[in-house]
Amino acid sequence: MINLPLVPAIIADIGGSLIVIIVAFLSAQYAYRLTKIQPENFLWGFLFYLCVAMTAFATSRGVGHIVRQFLILSGNETAWRTLSPFSGGINTLLITSAASVIIYYHKWLEAYEAIQIEVGKQKVANAKLAETAEELHEMNLNLEEIVEIRTQDLSISEKKFRHFFENSKDMVYFCNDGGQVSDINQSGVEMLGYQERPDKLDLHSFFKDVEDLEKYLQTLHDNGFVRDFEIEMERQDGSLCHALLSANAILNEKGEVVGCEGVAKDMTRIKTITDQLISQRKMASIGQLAAGVAHEINTPLGIILGYSQLMQDDFSKESEEHQNLNVIERQTKACQKIVADLLKFSRQSASEKVQLQLNDVIEDVISVTEHSLNMAHIHIIKELAADLPLISGDPERLRQVLFNLINNAHHAIGENGNVTVCTSAPPGNTTITCTVTDTGRGIPAEIQDKIFDPFFTTKGVGQGTGLGLSVTYGIINDHDGSVILESPTSSGSGTSFHLSFPILITKTNI
Amino acid sequence: MRHLNILTFITLFTLVLTGLPSPCHAFQSHPAPEGLYVHQMSHVLFIGALAYLYWHLGKSSLIASRGWHYMRLFCLLFLVWNCLTFAGHASYSYLSVDDFVNMGTWQSKIALPVTPLKLLYYLTRFEHLISVPAIFCLFIGLRLFYREVCAEEEK
Ligand SMILES: Nc1ncnc2c1ncn2[C@@H]1O[C@H](COP(=O)(O)OP(=O)(O)OP(=O)(O)O)[C@@H](O)[C@H]1O
Ligand SMILES: [Mg+2]
Repeated sequence: MINLPLVPAIIADIGGSLIVIIVAFLSAQYAYRLTKIQPENFLWGFLFYLCVAMTAFATSRGVGHIVRQFLILSGNETAWRTLSPFSGGINTLLITSAASVIIYYHKWLEAYEAIQIEVGKQKVANAKLAETAEELHEMNLNLEEIVEIRTQDLSISEKKFRHFFENSKDMVYFCNDGGQVSDINQSGVEMLGYQERPDKLDLHSFFKDVEDLEKYLQTLHDNGFVRDFEIEMERQDGSLCHALLSANAILNEKGEVVGCEGVAKDMTRIKTITDQLISQRKMASIGQLAAGVAHEINTPLGIILGYSQLMQDDFSKESEEHQNLNVIERQTKACQKIVADLLKFSRQSASEKVQLQLNDVIEDVISVTEHSLNMAHIHIIKELAADLPLISGDPERLRQVLFNLINNAHHAIGENGNVTVCTSAPPGNTTITCTVTDTGRGIPAEIQDKIFDPFFTTKGVGQGTGLGLSVTYGIINDHDGSVILESPTSSGSGTSFHLSFPILITKTNI
Repeated sequence: MRHLNILTFITLFTLVLTGLPSPCHAFQSHPAPEGLYVHQMSHVLFIGALAYLYWHLGKSSLIASRGWHYMRLFCLLFLVWNCLTFAGHASYSYLSVDDFVNMGTWQSKIALPVTPLKLLYYLTRFEHLISVPAIFCLFIGLRLFYREVCAEEEK
């Protein structure tokens, strides 16, 4: 039979009670600390009360058990009987209170949840507040930096536009409503022929033609802009300047024009070149036409000449028929000369170019013409450069050029005057120039652009063909040279023809 | 929740009351049995409260911390302990002085023959084998909470 000794139970009772009391106290201590750290957390409060109840219960019960064991074992059972109901009663009370704490657990939980929601809201609000504060702080810090960067950007932009304005090769100007120029760049100032910007400048100084100005202003008012408006400006020195103008109206808030800003491009050079190009084209086409006609006429002329010469033999020299045939022969030859000239002008006739010294050609021509010039009391002056570089050319045709020019000069002077022929080779240039100047009546401005046309002449019928200068032009062109007319010359009267020819580049030159 | 709480309590209470020893078939009659009754009732109340807490902690999502698992374990163990002590008190009330040998000495034993009632009583005397782990669970749980809170506060 197994005995059931109670000693292990007694020991377990005493030991267990002690352990439970100690651990209960330790738990209570942790719970207490929790409530101290997070007093707002009701769950810690709940656990703390639970621990307090548990500790009280553990203590009361444990101590009760230990005391009982000792009293009974020491034979004081009667004393225990007296104490026992108290111990039991207290235990009962404490169990009940521990249970009550637990029963109200959900209340604690509700409170906790409610607070948690509030805390959550608060947290969100706080976070937002902190964020805003942070942003504000950041903005404050950056404001200065931003302002600095903006200022820098602005000054870079201002510099850029200022640079563009100042250095533009075209005129850039700003005008107020009264037509006063408020700002204009250096190119504009130079275009108007000033050295420095004048104090007062208005649109009238731009427009030579008042009608143009009115049209410009009208378009600006109507459209708000003007595009590629061609105008003529009068420079400070009175010379003309062709310009292409584009402008925008400056409007105020009400949409009224309060000024304009514009760009003007100097087209003088381009206009000159274009005009030259047009005349060159004209020449070329007329030349072609003339060449065709000349070629066709040449054959019948030859036949007429042949037959008239043949018929002359049939009549005695004194007879009227012979005289008439002589006239036919002369006039036919004159026709042939014209045809030959036409062919020369149109470069249809063959030419042979050789290395030549232009001075020699001039000397040749002068020696032939000098006599007749002297007869008319015209003095010929030679100003020939000593070491004139050689050019490549057809001596026969260049002689004709000079002959034509001197002839024209002779005709323009009539009697008593000077014809100057000078040659020069400006150092560093690739061309030589030859100028024929006379002291004649000059060429009126209105016919200046016509004199190179074939058959243009101011001479009476039978006196001139009007082919002289056009042939000259054709020959010079054929030599890759140029001819420029100046009339009146710097002396105030007379005419100058400036010829230029490219210098022949040979190995010895280099 | 609250109704459930009360309901559990009432059910358990009636169950226990019907199973409670009545004076008519007692081996040993206690002079004032209402003290013991009240005590047993308090145990039942405690069991009900712990069961409620155990159940509630199990379903609450608010408390995800590991500490609460120890709290639940504490509830469970303490609930078992309460049942054990309840059984202890009940079984003891059926025993008489004759069932013990050498009472009040270190040699005290339970007299032969060993009946199931005596064995039950004997086992209930080792209730601390449950209460010690239970209180440790409470302790560990709280210590976990404390550490978590400390770590949280440090942040
Ligand atoms: N040096 C000059 N001074 C003034 N007018 C000139 C001069 N050279 C040419 N002209 C003008 O240009 C016109 C055209 O000259 P161009 O030599 O082509 O023909 P032309 O002299 O009239 O005739 P041709 O040369 O056939 O005898 C002339 O009629 C004359 O009015
Ligand atoms: Mg002539």
